[in-house]
Amino acid sequence: MTLDRVVWSMLQEALAVYRDSPRATAWLRAHAERYTEPVRIAVAGRGRIGKSTVVNALIGDEFTPQGSFVWYRGGTEPRAHVFTGPGRPHEVPIGRRGSRNHVETGQIDRADRVVVEWPARTLRDVVLIDTPSEASPEQVLGDADALLYLMRHVQDDDLKFLQAANDHPIARTAAVHTVAVLARADEIGAGRIDALSSAKQIARRYRRDVAVQPLCQNVVSVAGLLAMAARTLRADEFQALRVLASLGREELEDHLLSADRFVGEQFPLAMEPAVRQALLERFGIFGVRLVTALIRQGFDSQVKLTGQLVQRSGLGELRDSIAVHFTERREVLKARSALLALDVVLRMEPRPGARKLVTDLERVVASAHDFRELRLVAALQAGRTKLPAELQAEALRLVGAEGTSPPARLGFEYEPDAGELREALLDALVRWQAQAADVHAPNDHRRAAQVVVRTCEGLLPHFS
Amino acid sequence: MAPPWLDVLDETIGACVTHRRPDLEARLREKRAQQLDPKLRVLVVGESKQGKSQLVNALLNAPVCAVGDDITTTVPTFVQHADTPSAALVRNTSAQGSIYHAPTERIAVPIEQVTKQATAHSQHLVRAEIGIPRALLDSGLVLIDTPGVGDTRSAHTASTFATLMQADAVLLVSDATGELTSAEMALLKKVMQACPNVTVVVTKIDLVPGWRTVVERNRALLARAGVAAKLIPVSSALRLRAAKTGDQRLNAESGFPELLACVQRDIVASADLLARRAVAVVASSALTQLVTPLREELTAHDSSHTAATISTLQEAQRRVDELRRRSARWQNVLNDEMADLISDVEYDLRDRTRKILREVDKTYDEADPAIGWDRFEQWLEDNLNEAATTNFAWLMERAEWVAAKVAKNFPVYREDLIPGSVLPDDLLEPVSRLEKPKIEPFSVSQKLFTGLRGSYGGVLMFGLVTSLAGMPLINVISLGAGALFGGKSILDESDQRLKRRQAAAKAAAQRHVDDFFIKFSKDVRDSGRHIQRSLRNHFSTLAEELQETLLESARSAKRAVQDDQTERERRMREGRKELDRLLTLYKRVQALAGPTMELSA
Repeated sequence: MTLDRVVWSMLQEALAVYRDSPRATAWLRAHAERYTEPVRIAVAGRGRIGKSTVVNALIGDEFTPQGSFVWYRGGTEPRAHVFTGPGRPHEVPIGRRGSRNHVETGQIDRADRVVVEWPARTLRDVVLIDTPSEASPEQVLGDADALLYLMRHVQDDDLKFLQAANDHPIARTAAVHTVAVLARADEIGAGRIDALSSAKQIARRYRRDVAVQPLCQNVVSVAGLLAMAARTLRADEFQALRVLASLGREELEDHLLSADRFVGEQFPLAMEPAVRQALLERFGIFGVRLVTALIRQGFDSQVKLTGQLVQRSGLGELRDSIAVHFTERREVLKARSALLALDVVLRMEPRPGARKLVTDLERVVASAHDFRELRLVAALQAGRTKLPAELQAEALRLVGAEGTSPPARLGFEYEPDAGELREALLDALVRWQAQAADVHAPNDHRRAAQVVVRTCEGLLPHFS
Repeated sequence: MAPPWLDVLDETIGACVTHRRPDLEARLREKRAQQLDPKLRVLVVGESKQGKSQLVNALLNAPVCAVGDDITTTVPTFVQHADTPSAALVRNTSAQGSIYHAPTERIAVPIEQVTKQATAHSQHLVRAEIGIPRALLDSGLVLIDTPGVGDTRSAHTASTFATLMQADAVLLVSDATGELTSAEMALLKKVMQACPNVTVVVTKIDLVPGWRTVVERNRALLARAGVAAKLIPVSSALRLRAAKTGDQRLNAESGFPELLACVQRDIVASADLLARRAVAVVASSALTQLVTPLREELTAHDSSHTAATISTLQEAQRRVDELRRRSARWQNVLNDEMADLISDVEYDLRDRTRKILREVDKTYDEADPAIGWDRFEQWLEDNLNEAATTNFAWLMERAEWVAAKVAKNFPVYREDLIPGSVLPDDLLEPVSRLEKPKIEPFSVSQKLFTGLRGSYGGVLMFGLVTSLAGMPLINVISLGAGALFGGKSILDESDQRLKRRQAAAKAAAQRHVDDFFIKFSKDVRDSGRHIQRSLRNHFSTLAEELQETLLESARSAKRAVQDDQTERERRMREGRKELDRLLTLYKRVQALAGPTMELSA
């Protein structure tokens, strides 16, 4: 039985055992419902780091920021509900403020959470949760299956937050899925034109940093403002930017020296200060610099420019990361959340009838292969388990640290055919079987190899 | 002439020495050496990636500190005046020495490589030093660029705080992309404690369209936190570009003229005031640390210490009284219990001997003492021994119980409270042997004689009767009757003798048991009294010891109270004098800072 089915049947069993406890039943029902939903991703970080901006960039639509938890989930038509206290949610209209969508929560002063249903492609596979900056790790992670953590540079406070996220017995055995995001990549290097590539280098360095690596699966850099502007670029803005780019490089550079100069009186073009101000707000001074440079380089249609900006801003990489680490691993992430929920019930309301569930829970956490893969990834990345360098990289790839699709596991850069995959898989299997049987290797080495062998064996039926 | 703050500082150092606070002393000496040094150290601090190094570069219009997109500055970099550009790395040569007073060595490096080299050896380096010819630095100004605070590599943070102690003024850098965070406010407060002269510099205003609101918010934040620090917005990028192009307007836009003026006016020009302020802050913090324990000691002398001594005395006296009251009790218990014990034991003994006597009576109602006297004697002896042993064992048991009971009534518990052995050794002397009763033997001649005497009557009686019938006096009948009569008299006689023997045996047994009883009951009584005496001795010795201890502690407590009084007064006087001295010093320290400064000491 797959992990998916095992956990689902455990949830049903728990519902049967606890049918006389209204509290436990409500909790379990909610989790059973959640189990069938898309992956929930919480977007967290310190204040003013750009959480809402990143969420908007991912959705591809601009929303005015709210002071509470905002859930964005897929839907056929735009709708919003406000949850306050234990009562039923109120439906509220979604209006527009300027170019932004605004959820009219006006009459409700303090919402626990706002749930927005929005037709967007991104929201088919994920539910995005925009969190307020003062929320504690428990609040943020209570409802989420995975975490996008935004920061400028890795600082102690950020590490503390991530450590708190990993501090639960089940969370420890199945590490929480986190992607760290160096947000505001455009502000790195004081807005130099190559800031984004240098931000990517910094992200790459953090990926190898011993303090950061065990706490998150990946580090990517994103220029949130630019990404959002790219996703929501309007024709009038594009026109204005083209006009700007038509100005001489030297001349424009002078006026792009500072934000004050750009919106100042002595501008050589006949362009309304209000338009310039709007551009500045949407793109930032760095964005204007980059976009005009790009238009000059030949990305002179709106489609070309958008594509280039999505790529440059790091949004593409962030999306790939979400796909590889969250969406593809939906099953194990959901199972993990459900097991955490079950653990809560079993500990809060222990009863004799639930004893079987307790042992089942322990068994699943300890022996489900998906969790063992996660643990091996965590152990290898944290250096608790050491393998020779070339083996380590291959082991990480095979157990799915870089994606769980067979080609990703087997390390194919291109789209291989079934024969090639089978060849590569059998090759890996034989090699790792030899590692697992190597009597001279240390114990943890062999155990890691056993997990890899089991993974390869699990892949075999796909090709036979 | 030495400046006035030097005297005050020296005096404070003296106070630290007398109060045995080498830590404070070291800190103050550090400050003193630094203040005597004509250099003015301006520290540039802030979280990482706020543009600290770039600020230093822009101030000097020279790329002296490396700037980078990732974390770049790893050791504090001292930028000071030199006639020709030069650079050196200062290395800590002692393996784990402290940052202060550690032997260091300087390694000269080319100026363009200083950052690269510093990053490579950052764990051994104390600082990097760069010298360049600049008018701004002419007056002895030293700009110190520091690694970012709050970085994950905490060693950097530690070295920043170490340099903070040497700073005369601080520029706290925060960029305009966000208002001051709570971490930055905490940093600001921490900096203020070590060096009161702080200017907040908001950098990167070229990047942020809404930098004016950020500056306003920051001002409000500072005002709310009660921090009297100046706030200057600048743009290093504009300044550097202005320097390149010589554009004065751009330079003005960058905000640097104001910052430079502030540095010149507030920091360089008022070096003496700065020194006084800095000394005032450090000295008053040291003095506060000295005064606090002293004051506590004084108050403790006043109240709690004396109270404690007096309560010890009272406690000791109370315990002596308690002991006296209780010793009457345990003596009564001992007397009563021992009297009970002795009477009980005696009754038990009598009971046991009576049972033996009854057994003896029953036996000699039937049996003949002449047969098996030896066995009887053995039996009696065994029985009596057994009775005596049981009885004595009981006595022992009871005696121990009594000892325990007395111990329970004893005022205090001690390990050796119950005496190990209370028994006399010479108990159970053997009683005199049972004397054999006189048993008359019934010999054959006696039997013959008795038989003849009995048969005589019979022969005569029946001979006379038969002679009437004409038979001779001695005939068969008379002889037969004589034999019958003789036999009967023999039987009668032996029966009587048996009875006599039995009575004699009983009497002998009775006498023996009586003897035994008298002797043994005397012994038991003696042992009882012996036990009582030894118990009494034991417990009264203990009680005396205890009493002596208690009295001694009471006496010492009394002495302590009396001694305390004089000693305390003396120490109080000294403490007060010292406190007064420190407080006067404190006032002088505060006067140093001038009327403009408010000290929260």
